[in-house]
Amino acid sequence: MDYVYFIASVICVWIILSVAANLAIGYGGLMSLGHVGYLAIGAYTAASLNILLNLNFYYTIPIAIVATAAVAYVTVIPLLRLGTFYFGLATLGLNIVITDVLQNIGPRVPGAEGLFGLHLPELMTIGLWRLTFIAALTAGVVYLALRLVRSPFGRSLRAMRDQPDAIESLGKSARRVRTIIWTISGALAGLAGALYCTTLSYIDPTVFNFQFSFNLLTYIGFGGLASIAGSVLGPAILIAFGEALRFTGLPSEITGPVQQSLFALLLIFVMVFRRQGLVGKYDFRE
Amino acid sequence: MLQVLISGLSLSAYYALLALGFAMIYSTLRIFNIAHAAVFGAAAYTFYFLYRVANVNLLACVLVTIVFAALFGLLIDFAVYRPLTARGGGTFNIFIASLGVATLFEAGALLATHGTPLVAHAGSLESISVGAVSFRMLDVIVVGSVAVLYGALFYAIMTTRTGLEIRALADNHTMAGVVGIDTNRARTSIFLIASALAGLAGILTVYDSGVVPTTGLNLLFVTFVAVIFGGTRRLFMGALGGSLVMGLVTAFAGFFFPQWVMVIVFVLLIGLLIARPQGFFA
Repeated sequence: MDYVYFIASVICVWIILSVAANLAIGYGGLMSLGHVGYLAIGAYTAASLNILLNLNFYYTIPIAIVATAAVAYVTVIPLLRLGTFYFGLATLGLNIVITDVLQNIGPRVPGAEGLFGLHLPELMTIGLWRLTFIAALTAGVVYLALRLVRSPFGRSLRAMRDQPDAIESLGKSARRVRTIIWTISGALAGLAGALYCTTLSYIDPTVFNFQFSFNLLTYIGFGGLASIAGSVLGPAILIAFGEALRFTGLPSEITGPVQQSLFALLLIFVMVFRRQGLVGKYDFRE
Repeated sequence: MLQVLISGLSLSAYYALLALGFAMIYSTLRIFNIAHAAVFGAAAYTFYFLYRVANVNLLACVLVTIVFAALFGLLIDFAVYRPLTARGGGTFNIFIASLGVATLFEAGALLATHGTPLVAHAGSLESISVGAVSFRMLDVIVVGSVAVLYGALFYAIMTTRTGLEIRALADNHTMAGVVGIDTNRARTSIFLIASALAGLAGILTVYDSGVVPTTGLNLLFVTFVAVIFGGTRRLFMGALGGSLVMGLVTAFAGFFFPQWVMVIVFVLLIGLLIARPQGFFA
């Protein structure tokens, strides 16, 4: 049973990250290939404060959120000058820069390449309670995201994506709206990162490499852009499917590449035949 | 120091082979062809199989592999990009699908080889020493063949009809179609030429330093930074100049700060995109 709780927790984390990325990509029109980099910053912040400085895990969560939001804010400012396509390329670069910097000078447990030995509060060590905690936060994120996209801000966000000139002529600043949504998205990625720590026994930069950005893109593309429901369904279905592969009895060095190639095929298929994904409302045409 | 310079020049030659094809596809068709890495990898593995496993004669291996690479690149265009464009997909959809193709290939190669590095040549390579520096014969061959290829292709693009069509596409894709250029045929030639170049890069790499499933994508990351650095307005100058710069940057960075190479490459990319998005030589 603990295994099911564990998988459900992992799915929740990826739902939060998918919602975060979809707010930027689907609603904001800001193509991101680098959200896993922000996930890494959230995870590293929470884990190093907890492991190296013995801070209570619950307190590290808000700190991880603020730290990641700050990094997202600082990194997006120069990138906003770029057009859609180069913006995506630059965020891909950002992902690689973040993981490489963590690899080279990131905090680590003495004698190891990464971090381990999280001191979780007693309740959090119980699988079911941990899942309840993570699932409650995930539900909160989904609720807030739904509120956000239906608010006046959400409307100006979509208008900005579709008709930036028209909305600027009404006196709204595209730059400001984009910075805000990117920072919110970064904050959520930080939350996902902090929660992700609890599902990992060992944290090192390879957990956040480009392959995971690719998976994230598959979850969102499959679920659908500009759809919160899609960002819940995408990771839930695909991660459950990936885990089901383990029960086929194939050795793990085969199931990894098999899952990766199926995801790649799925993504190619979605791009050719159904760009709006399962339940999406927007396809990235530019 | 001089030795690093020489290895930088030889690296540049590898990038230049990939960069010219990549830039050709990008500037004419607006396809950011990440799957170029898959063509590179497919050629490397084919060559390895023919040369080491099937023991075919070297020259025949090279020719067969290059033809195979050209057709493989064209196949990707026909199987993925053309249907995607026909259904109204844009640059970004193609980019993501292309990333899918590269990932698919990487996963397939990992399944087939279990990630074992494969090197095609046996024994050590001949080298000649001049003073304090030594050249490897292979590097001389690589740099020489890149120079010859660039010259020949430049001449072909400037004088042949297909070359004229390719240049017209690079200038203005829609207009080229309007004035009666068969854009589909030109597109086929572009994919064939570009993929053949990637195939040659794959052969040289697997012959010399060997490949693992991720080699193609890692090389291509540096290559597209080189292409963006060079800009695509002037195809040959841009690809060559960008590759030269990136070859020297990665060689010197690899010598002085080996763990920071990718960080330097991508910080350079981001800085460049912000400061000079049209490229350095444009």
